[in-house]
Amino acid sequence: MNEKPITYAWAINHALDEEMQRDPDVMLMGQDVGRMGGVFGLTRGLHEKFGEERVRDVSIVEHLVVGGAVGAALGGLRPVAEVQFADFLLLAGDESFHKMAKWRYMHGGILSLPMVVRAPCGIQGGVGAEHSQSPEGHYWHTPGVKIAVPSNPADAKGLLKAAIRDDNPVIYFENRRLYRVKGPVSSDPELLVPFGQGTVRREGADVTIVAWSAMVDAALEAAEILDREEISVEVVDPRTLVPFDMETVAASVRKTSRLLVLHEASLTMGPGAEIAARAADELFEFLDAPVKRLAGTDNPIPQNMALEPFCYPQTDQIVSTVRDLAKW
Amino acid sequence: MTTSSPETGETNQRETLLRLYRETARGRALEDVVNRLAQERSFRGFFHPGRGQEGLQAAVCTALNTDDYLLYAHRGLTYLTAKGMDPVSILGDFHGRLVGSTRGLGAGTVHCVDPAHGIMGQGGTLGSCFPLSAGLALASKTRKDGKVAAAFFGDGASARGTFLESGVTAKAWGLPVVWICENNGWAVSARVQDVQGTSDIAPRAAAMGFHIQVVDGQDILAVHEAAIEAIAQARNGVPAFIEAKTERIEGHYTGDMQPYRDRDEVAAAKTRDPLVLAARRLLEMGVDDGVLDTIQEEARAEMAAADDEARQSPFPDGRRIHEGIWA
Repeated sequence: MNEKPITYAWAINHALDEEMQRDPDVMLMGQDVGRMGGVFGLTRGLHEKFGEERVRDVSIVEHLVVGGAVGAALGGLRPVAEVQFADFLLLAGDESFHKMAKWRYMHGGILSLPMVVRAPCGIQGGVGAEHSQSPEGHYWHTPGVKIAVPSNPADAKGLLKAAIRDDNPVIYFENRRLYRVKGPVSSDPELLVPFGQGTVRREGADVTIVAWSAMVDAALEAAEILDREEISVEVVDPRTLVPFDMETVAASVRKTSRLLVLHEASLTMGPGAEIAARAADELFEFLDAPVKRLAGTDNPIPQNMALEPFCYPQTDQIVSTVRDLAKW
Repeated sequence: MTTSSPETGETNQRETLLRLYRETARGRALEDVVNRLAQERSFRGFFHPGRGQEGLQAAVCTALNTDDYLLYAHRGLTYLTAKGMDPVSILGDFHGRLVGSTRGLGAGTVHCVDPAHGIMGQGGTLGSCFPLSAGLALASKTRKDGKVAAAFFGDGASARGTFLESGVTAKAWGLPVVWICENNGWAVSARVQDVQGTSDIAPRAAAMGFHIQVVDGQDILAVHEAAIEAIAQARNGVPAFIEAKTERIEGHYTGDMQPYRDRDEVAAAKTRDPLVLAARRLLEMGVDDGVLDTIQEEARAEMAAADDEARQSPFPDGRRIHEGIWA
């Protein structure tokens, strides 16, 4: 199959297109997903191609978008709901934390909820405190939902296709900073990225960085710089947080003995704390240095775009943190 | 509402009311068992008795097809038996035993489920039935399988924001939802008039464009006829709403002595017991009271036997908590 470079945004569009073509039960709903093709253009062309029955615009109704997807999934559809910003998932708190995550379990485990919620996350474009968050940790703390955090166009496509075919509810966090990033993507409609299988983005011997979503590129950039200082960095991208591929992380740490966990969500009680705790617990004997976390700062994200870069880890911070780790 | 010749009309009405009376009696008998279990502390947890509201639950659920979707509410159990669920399975849930529909996760206000009878569950957060029923109805409409999605809720839950979000979308999309508001005038200890500034819920459904009916929830036949009409509307893509004015005879939970309620009001509610009212009507229609006694005895015997059977089932062990999270 040919692989041509397309953007992360188009990779998502292609995944939706292919899955809707393959399975008539797949449908989309969300604000502006239809006639407009999405506020970020992600669903362009799908309304024209599949019609208004399968690509449904809604009013400002997050409870309905997420809760309606739960009901539709219970009724046999495979809905892909979109909240315009990941922050808006919290408006559908009951529907996402409770109904989506718990309905199957609390009803004895006999009902299935094959649904996906697409949640655009990330700090970009001066959209402020309520449009920039990365709330994957909130949902990692909630048993019952799978979580995808793609870092590049190929994974964006393969993970979304796998999510749509999964019989469990999935939150798919797509980082808005990555929408225009290009990368090779297979046109094979059966190419899926399985959940729970992390990948090593760059091999290295001295320090492991675990990063996902937009922080993977930052980690790779830092690794390039550190390479010139003869510090060899291995970058592990778990690709999904639920299930979490601790095996790939462990294999890397056994080799490097040093671990940095890197994410955009704010530091305190963030997802990195879980990974760091597990590493301390399960990999203690292999570690030569304390596990470090580098993450978003503990403040609401301001609207002033000039202040945005101060809110999440920048390459120079990653470089200096790894440098310190490498001294152990 | 029903138009037929007076003679066959009367016979039909009598047969229908007898059928509804039987379902109401079955629900009452099941709740009597559960109330006794609650008082004996045979299970831990709260039960919200539906005494006074069984008739309307039976009247609506018997009007639904077996495969129509049902999201029931927390107050009572008649929805379940009237929709066809096995009482052994329901009681198994109360006892927390493996024979229960949740295979041992139950007890208290249980989350019984029976997809073969369209029973898709119950949320622990009230008002969550609105978006879920809209979603079920969307699935039915999209897959063209002709099912309606019925959701029960009280006057209290009708104030949730989910009501508006789901209602406007159901109207916009022509979804086959039937929403049944069991308006008993009380949200736990709050009088609906005091906390919502009105005692009438239907106008807000009318404002969203629903087909609305307001009916005496203690008149089983009237509710049944309203349900048939509402279901027909929904199948034609018109979201339908029934406000059944009903009575909460017991407290919010078994053991709630209702100190916040006027004694005379509770006494008045008791005079509007749907089973008593239906019996009176049936006697007027010429039904022998022996027939009604037999129905009651059969209902009690059925539920006692179901309770015995449920108690034979084993309890789950601790490993059960890890099962069923993922498909």
